Amino acid sequence: MKFVLVDRIGELESGRRIVAYKALSLAEEYLADHFPAFPVLPGVLMLEALVQASAFLAREALSFAPALVLLKEARNVTYKSFVVPGQVLRIESICRRCDTAESEFCASGQVDGREIVRATLTLRHLNLADVDPALADIDQKNRNHWRTLFDRLHAGRLAGTAAAPGA
Amino acid sequence: MRWIWIDRFEEFVPGRRATAIKSVSLAEEYLHDHVPGFPIMPASLLIEGMAQTAGILVGQARQFSEKVILAKIRRAKFYQLVGPGRQVRFKAIIDQLSDAAASTTGQIYCDGELVGEVDLVFSHIDQNLSGLDFPQENFVFTEQFMSLLKLYQGAGAERVRL
Amino acid sequence: MATPTREEILEKVQQTLVDALSVEADEVTENATLTGDLGAESIDFLDIVFRLEKAFNIKIPQEELIPRDILSNAEYVQNRKLNAAGLEALKKAMPHADLSAFEHDPDIDKISDVFTVGTIVNFVQSKLAAQG
Repeated sequence: MKFVLVDRIGELESGRRIVAYKALSLAEEYLADHFPAFPVLPGVLMLEALVQASAFLAREALSFAPALVLLKEARNVTYKSFVVPGQVLRIESICRRCDTAESEFCASGQVDGREIVRATLTLRHLNLADVDPALADIDQKNRNHWRTLFDRLHAGRLAGTAAAPGA
Repeated sequence: MRWIWIDRFEEFVPGRRATAIKSVSLAEEYLHDHVPGFPIMPASLLIEGMAQTAGILVGQARQFSEKVILAKIRRAKFYQLVGPGRQVRFKAIIDQLSDAAASTTGQIYCDGELVGEVDLVFSHIDQNLSGLDFPQENFVFTEQFMSLLKLYQGAGAERVRL
Repeated sequence: MATPTREEILEKVQQTLVDALSVEADEVTENATLTGDLGAESIDFLDIVFRLEKAFNIKIPQEELIPRDILSNAEYVQNRKLNAAGLEALKKAMPHADLSAFEHDPDIDKISDVFTVGTIVNFVQSKLAAQG
């Protein structure tokens, strides 16, 4: 399984708000275990989707400077209902604070306008080179990776594709 | 990817506490995306390891008669990163237990160091008028989870075995 | 141990709701509704009950806070709304709550909306008094 829990970025207000989407498909293999009789998106993967969307918001606001953006703390992650295959989870994350080292968000997920999950998140921003200068190349690899993925997910554009005529 | 985030119970005291361990391996696919060149177990999957440890503990406390669902992560805080070749230890304690719900506190360790703290609330969804649709049979406690308890060899194993 | 004053109970209840709902302290006024103003969900009620039990060292059986047996009694409920007899029974079972708004639309699925911060404080106060 690719550990990418955001399929598309819909809206982005730089440094303020992101709207993203995660579609759930029966083809996702872990569903066979969660649960055999009742396949539903695991709560922690809903959380991961909220984290990944928020991380994109932070990265874009910081011009993709931090190599790693990871969950430091989640509070009051409340699950209200299930997401079943065939549904699309619409994620909205509002940035409350974004510094060099950390960022804070109120995020939620809805299906067909009905709230499924909400959370308060704190993310930490890291560069491995700060701890070990020898890892600077891994940092750069990550910055490129996340920027490329962001471009791909945002408005469905493939990185490097020429803009459509008249765009 | 299989959805099992603990490998073995190391300790199981019915109705009280449980410790489960998980080995982290480069054979696990998610490590190759998280993150490129620097594999670390994602915090969300560490939370799931705790949720499975605590969920089985809560379920066993009611003889698996309830559908125990993770309803709320009160707080999950992370202090260290966990890489491949490491063993993670999930220690869960039942804090409160009622007909409708249960709360647990927990710590995650790796090589004796505190990696994270995870406090959870589980719902017994048959007992809550939540208006949700779900199957009548107990879909939560799968063969996979029950097998972990069947194979438990530690202290008090004879009390835990079904 | 001396019984806490209403003010002391209110302070502890406010802190409980701030912790459980990720709201700001100044939002948690006496008249604020848990569901409407503070955004509480049914799972939050379960969480809040646990926290109150701990904070005040009391036991809160589910039916004392919200009498589910009245809400699911066929004699009291038609089309998911309480009839006059049901409302009377509910008032007796929930002396801690102000049901005047609920009476206009006694929809059993909306019972949680009656809970204000003040309702919780009243409930805790009566539990502590009963404990003596």
